Amino acid sequence: MKIKNILIANRGEIAVRIIKTAKKMGIATSVIKTVSEPAAMYLSHADTVYDDTDNVSEIPVFIDIERIIKIAIDIGADAIHPGYGFLAENPYFAQKCADNKLIFIGPSPDSIYKMGNKIIARKIALSNNIPMTLGSDGKIPSEKEAIRVARKIGYPVIIKAASGGGGRGMRIVRKEEDMPKMFRMASNEADKTFSDHSVFIEKYIEYPKHIEFQVLGDKKGNIIHLWERECSVQRKHQKLLEEAPSSALNDQLRKEMGEISVKIASAVGYFSAGTVEFLYDANGNYYFMEMNTRIQVEHPVTELITGIDLIEEQIRIAEGKDLRFKQQDIKLNGWAIECRINAEDVQSGFSPAPGKIEKIIMPSGENIRVDTGVQSGSVIAANFDSMIAKLIIYGKTRKEALANCKQALDKVWIKGTKTTLPFFRMLIRNPNFLDGSITTSFIENEISSYYVYSEYEEKLAAWLATWLFIDENLDESNLKVNVEETRNISPWLLNKRISRH
Amino acid sequence: MAKQTKKLYALHGRKKHSFNLPLTKTIKIGKREYKIVIKEDNKYGTYILWKNRRYPVEINLSRQNKFEILFNYVSYSFTIETPFSLKRKQYLSKEKGASEDEKIIAPMPGKILEVMISQGDEINRGDPLVILEAMKMQNEINCPVNGIVTSINVDPGMNVNKDDIMLELKIIQ
Repeated sequence: MKIKNILIANRGEIAVRIIKTAKKMGIATSVIKTVSEPAAMYLSHADTVYDDTDNVSEIPVFIDIERIIKIAIDIGADAIHPGYGFLAENPYFAQKCADNKLIFIGPSPDSIYKMGNKIIARKIALSNNIPMTLGSDGKIPSEKEAIRVARKIGYPVIIKAASGGGGRGMRIVRKEEDMPKMFRMASNEADKTFSDHSVFIEKYIEYPKHIEFQVLGDKKGNIIHLWERECSVQRKHQKLLEEAPSSALNDQLRKEMGEISVKIASAVGYFSAGTVEFLYDANGNYYFMEMNTRIQVEHPVTELITGIDLIEEQIRIAEGKDLRFKQQDIKLNGWAIECRINAEDVQSGFSPAPGKIEKIIMPSGENIRVDTGVQSGSVIAANFDSMIAKLIIYGKTRKEALANCKQALDKVWIKGTKTTLPFFRMLIRNPNFLDGSITTSFIENEISSYYVYSEYEEKLAAWLATWLFIDENLDESNLKVNVEETRNISPWLLNKRISRH
Repeated sequence: MAKQTKKLYALHGRKKHSFNLPLTKTIKIGKREYKIVIKEDNKYGTYILWKNRRYPVEINLSRQNKFEILFNYVSYSFTIETPFSLKRKQYLSKEKGASEDEKIIAPMPGKILEVMISQGDEINRGDPLVILEAMKMQNEINCPVNGIVTSINVDPGMNVNKDDIMLELKIIQ
């Protein structure tokens, strides 16, 4: 069944990304204009914009199942792409689409449900002999039971939300006396975030690498993998930089883990694009962690090394077409790196720094791809994610990709908010990152500064502060200073002064 | 007539940058002086041109003699002092003696879920102080120093803004 009009139940860069492929395929796209972002960039790319700015509900439209379905029907869409986040991994939403004869561009409600519930996913993996960490058989009902299970598998352990993902509802417990408190915290957080307080316990792997495999399956049961991505650069389980492939794997292990990934996906009758996540420890053991049943933020690095447009394949598969690649067709060419440039303050714990992007100039060139939903004048709204742009870099080898990345980072120009740029400029010069040996604990435990210190940059900043001070105290009699060009106040300073008040 | 100030200091943590007055638009490296140009245009916005390179700048805070400058994406907080005000400041901190205060500020906006300490408690570096819920995550705020709790400004259920002072401690050396 040919798709003619896709409603994108999402915003930002992923909406722009989906529209790009839909256009290439001759498919019309529709997006939703919200009151939080009435001038967002993605709106200008779509064929149809549904104006939802009079929606004053406290629930954002992108997670309002009934409303999304109604909008899709109203505008005559025949398919819905959920992007990532929001309703992308909600089995009830996928089912609702089917009930209303709308094609959900993603896997079946059943696959989403089984992989979304981490306890069920664990059981499926176990019964298929997939390598896993030791853990509880099911959900843990009480602190007492938590202590019993943790004693059996040995500390440290990690408590996880059954319905969790993205690092939420997780707590690491290193000693028994901390268990009651941590159990309560994890359970409360799970309840608040996922409306499901159930948690389970796994052995906690110290200093692992995060390695994930991209899979693609069609509705006839053909499943392949598109090699791996390494996402070890993360903070509190939030990924910051991803690369493909991983420097930790050799060809044999790569092949073995790829096959395991296909096996897990097959076990739930998976179709569409999905990601099988593993932890990889210092001894070369790997453990299945979870499967994400959606397109991932970091999908572009896989696209660059395989030459396959994953959104296009998702759409073709949703139309019921057969997979057009066999496993042996999937070649691994070169190296790709993605930096997530977010509006965050790296100097105060990566806290969100929403605001207006006054200027954004991203580098371009043969080995550079930029996925963004932001342009000069855009506002990073506090109620959505902090993504400004994904800077995706290609090279024939890892070394070349790293060199290209370093150059590209120096060419990024963003004015208006704090960004994660200083972090990446530090990272790209860090020897442990450069030799590929870092693990997921790198950011929290192994680096002392989130930016590269420059004596002269600090001096220049100090000079500017002094200059501003003099400028602002010109009229005050308590400070008698001689200043060069005293009457020559730049219009920029005047503007800044006015906007401050 | 007041004596003319000949110098200004920009203090950043323990660092002191000193500038002679009148302030010239130059920074010296070795014996060479390099010109500083502040520019603004439509393409780049406001920036500083120095040694043929463009540096993005933002003024994030400007309050009396306190400034937060975002220079090339890195944030620096400065306090500007004259030689006289600096002397006075040093004198005052000497008078206060060696005991220093530590203010625990909220690293992000959020809601206080739990306060785990009481006034007068003697606590160690790393001990949990409060649980702050932000962006649906529960964050344990731990004590950065050894000290005695001198004031608690938050209660469970209370919302805090970024940089709000949640509690204060007297540092024990």
